[in-house]
Amino acid sequence: MSVKLKALLKSPWVFHISTGSCNNCDIEVLDCLTPRFDIERFGILLAGSIKHADLLLVTGSGNRKSMEIVKKLYEQAPKPCLVVAIGECALSRGMFIHSYNCPVPVDKVIPVDVYIPGCPPKPEAIIAGLVKLIEKVKGTLKKKGK
Amino acid sequence: MKRGDVLENINQRFKEEIIDVIDKSSTRVYIEIKPCSLVKVAKYVFEELGARFNIASGLDVRSHMEILYHFIFEEINLLISFRVKLDRAKPEIDSLTPIFEAANWIEREIYEMLGVKFKGHPDLRKLFLSDDWPDGVHPLRCDYKEWDRKAIRDRGV
Repeated sequence: MSVKLKALLKSPWVFHISTGSCNNCDIEVLDCLTPRFDIERFGILLAGSIKHADLLLVTGSGNRKSMEIVKKLYEQAPKPCLVVAIGECALSRGMFIHSYNCPVPVDKVIPVDVYIPGCPPKPEAIIAGLVKLIEKVKGTLKKKGK
Repeated sequence: MKRGDVLENINQRFKEEIIDVIDKSSTRVYIEIKPCSLVKVAKYVFEELGARFNIASGLDVRSHMEILYHFIFEEINLLISFRVKLDRAKPEIDSLTPIFEAANWIEREIYEMLGVKFKGHPDLRKLFLSDDWPDGVHPLRCDYKEWDRKAIRDRGV
């Protein structure tokens, strides 16, 4: 693990991108960040700009227009940058898979590290996903059955 | 002005232009008019009767194209929808944007989604679709076919 990545995991700052979601996933993300679920106890803090972020939270089905912007945002993010896809739409476009405006899923445009399914995923699921991401990068993620 | 007066006024004035009147409920009336007389009717309803232009909606119903122009009379809680039926092969209608600016964007949206051409619209270009969207492809038409060869339509499992 590089020094940069190690430093990043102490307190990953997140930036939240909605690529045309119905706002339900965004509400759950907001729920995570606010005191009830308080994701800040893992050091995760919402960043105001993509240029300060280490972690991208992507929600939504990925419109033709917004995916161009996501691509640009990902290029602006300081590397190493980890990407978390939240919700069924960001994973596989959910019910919008045959929509004229959603040609490709998010993970064909930018590399995704963690997928959190659900419509919307509960805040607990998002926390579990982010903890798993940290474990995965540290290399301490336990394989199933071991 | 009462509900009856409004309907009477419109009926009286546009006897030739009205094809059909459907009195759906106490707050909702559908009036089918000839496409060529739309501007006249809209101008009268908007300027003389003081209705508010709410929105227009476009439909593709296989046999023809249809646009509904919804006008609201707020004091008497009445919504009148003017329905025009257009030819599917060459859908064209006069624009209402010169009368009220509120029709500008909805006409642009109907233009890109259904391909209805609005004659006299000052700025008829795409509104929501992306810039690389091909001309002449309208996604909400019945006969829309996938044009993007790079599109992935399976879940990859």
